Amino acid sequence: MSSQLLESDRASALERFRTTGTGREKPSRYWKFDLETLDVPMPSGTPGGSVEIDAPAGRIVACDLQTAQRDHAALLERAFGKAIVPSMKFAHLARAFTHLGAFVYIPRDCASDDPVVIRYRSAGSSSIFPHTVVFAERGARATVVEHLDVDGDSFVCGIAEIVTDESADVTYAAPQLASESTRILFTRAALPGRDARVTWATADLGASLSVADIAVIAEQPGIEAHVASLFFPGGSQHVDIVSTVDHRVGETTSETVVKAAATGAGQGRYLGNIRIAARAQQTQASLRDDALLLSKRAHIDSIPALEIAANDVKAFHGATVGALDDDAIFYMTSRGVDRAAAERMIALGFFEPVIERFPSESLRETLREALQRKVEPA
Amino acid sequence: MSDQGLRISGLQCSVDGNEILKGIDLTVEPGKVHALMGPNGSGKSTLAFSLTGHPKYDVTAGTATLDDEDLLALPADKRARAGLFLSFQYPAAIPGVKVPNFLFAARQAVRPGELTPAKFRALLLEKMDVLGMDPSFLGRYLNDGFSGGEKKRLEMLQMAVLAPKYAILDETDSGLDVDALKDVGESVKALRASEEGKNTGFLIITHYPRILQHIEPDVVHVMIDGRIVKTGDAQLAHRIEREGYDVIREETRALV
Ligand SMILES: Nc1ncnc2c1ncn2[C@@H]1O[C@H](COP(=O)(O)OP(=O)(O)OP(=O)(O)O)[C@@H](O)[C@H]1O
Ligand SMILES: [Mg+2]
Repeated sequence: MSSQLLESDRASALERFRTTGTGREKPSRYWKFDLETLDVPMPSGTPGGSVEIDAPAGRIVACDLQTAQRDHAALLERAFGKAIVPSMKFAHLARAFTHLGAFVYIPRDCASDDPVVIRYRSAGSSSIFPHTVVFAERGARATVVEHLDVDGDSFVCGIAEIVTDESADVTYAAPQLASESTRILFTRAALPGRDARVTWATADLGASLSVADIAVIAEQPGIEAHVASLFFPGGSQHVDIVSTVDHRVGETTSETVVKAAATGAGQGRYLGNIRIAARAQQTQASLRDDALLLSKRAHIDSIPALEIAANDVKAFHGATVGALDDDAIFYMTSRGVDRAAAERMIALGFFEPVIERFPSESLRETLREALQRKVEPA
Repeated sequence: MSDQGLRISGLQCSVDGNEILKGIDLTVEPGKVHALMGPNGSGKSTLAFSLTGHPKYDVTAGTATLDDEDLLALPADKRARAGLFLSFQYPAAIPGVKVPNFLFAARQAVRPGELTPAKFRALLLEKMDVLGMDPSFLGRYLNDGFSGGEKKRLEMLQMAVLAPKYAILDETDSGLDVDALKDVGESVKALRASEEGKNTGFLIITHYPRILQHIEPDVVHVMIDGRIVKTGDAQLAHRIEREGYDVIREETRALV
């Protein structure tokens, strides 16, 4: 039966996609996309695209989904689809057409400092539906980096899932630098085991429309969840991010840090959900989101949503929306740095708390360079 | 040569439409140390900001030149490149911008040259040593999470690295413990002893004569209510400490 895992359920997934609401209203009158009526290029045959997977030497298994289905069916089945919840509308769409994907299996107590690198390419195809499944066993530690090399009028609707056993530690980094003509919708969901740690580090810098649903479901005690996201719509780009940390049991910890800037006529929306169930006592959750508006036509809606039903918890929320700090600019220019350079340095510095969460210096430098290009006056 | 100096003449300045400086005349000659004292709110920081080009400070009359260059015609960064430096009373914190990265950019802007990043790092470490700063500051963000004293040390580090022609120290001594105060004094002395800084002129804004024990002033000015009402030698600072500003206010009432 497991060999049918990928094929099973496609029709009902499509039905769930059609009947599930996005829960997202159009944020502002400048917003050009309506997710409820999004024009999805439904593939007629098997969608194209390709995946390239690089794994460090050692015990980690990293292969495409078809191979995983054939050679590691039992393992795949323990994780595949397990972190997806019914409200994730676009995960259902991805599920309906998934044909391309990667499976990363980190066996018990296996620890790796070198990342598994997954690269999805649209390769001339107009739509791709990638699905990454990361499954870490007890005490395992690994990092996964996902790249999207997509261009043209590519439409991407993908899933990344992390499922772990006890005391595992998984970092998943997704620096999205796709070409600005593409549309990208991604659902990223994690279901960590007891005492496990998961980190999502995401950057949405490319695409005309980038929609992400980032979630951690904490239903075991001792879980530590980190969500670090940055995004930066410029030109006429739209970015729509929802993050959700669902503390279903107590003694769980989460930290969400979001840094967003917008320039040109860039539009952004961030919805930060922190849910703490009534029985989830002794939970610690923090949500920090800051937005920087670099032009008059740029717009960012930042909406924190804390639903706290337990009483013995520590929950922190802090947010700012604003322009560059005049005092900071004056301070720097008074030391001889010209205004444009000062603004650039401040804007880049603003993203550092999220950049720091990305796993390698070369990745961090790539992000800084991409951000620098966006800050550069047109 | 006759126009050398930081020359301020008839300077008037408003903030948000309120006139704060009501005509300041003051010249800091190369290599000289001037102290500027005065009660809270008298306009000392306003003078510092109007000279360095803070966009919120409107100069409504008067002139300010730095060795012949018209400061008031320049934006803040060009004033710094002309050789002016302000040590802020309240330095801004800039998260995400690392101390050495910023200082390298500032140094290159003020003194464009062939300094490699490696040589620059060596220079920084040497200056930090004079200031008793731990090398770990190189990994930190500008003033972010710095204590009051650490911020002032970082201001002095920047002065040392930029080696300006004229430096305004706006209450760099306030809030410092005795050791830090001594380090600030050493840092100023080190700059004056260096080739780059041997002609640096200083305007030291302070409330306390104790900093002046480390940096002997050539001239002391007293500002009250946006005007310089008295100018004298180092003794004036001690007199203010003993007698307070009221006596000076009385003496100069006729003037105002
Ligand atoms: N934005 C503003 N609007 C109105 N008044 C202002 C503004 N900024 C400063 N001032 C006023 O200008 C005056 C001079 O302030 P300034 O900071 O120059 O004083 P100071 O001499 O440096 O005082 P201190 O010794 O306390 O540092 C004060 O009365 C202050 O309230
Ligand atoms: Mg002041």
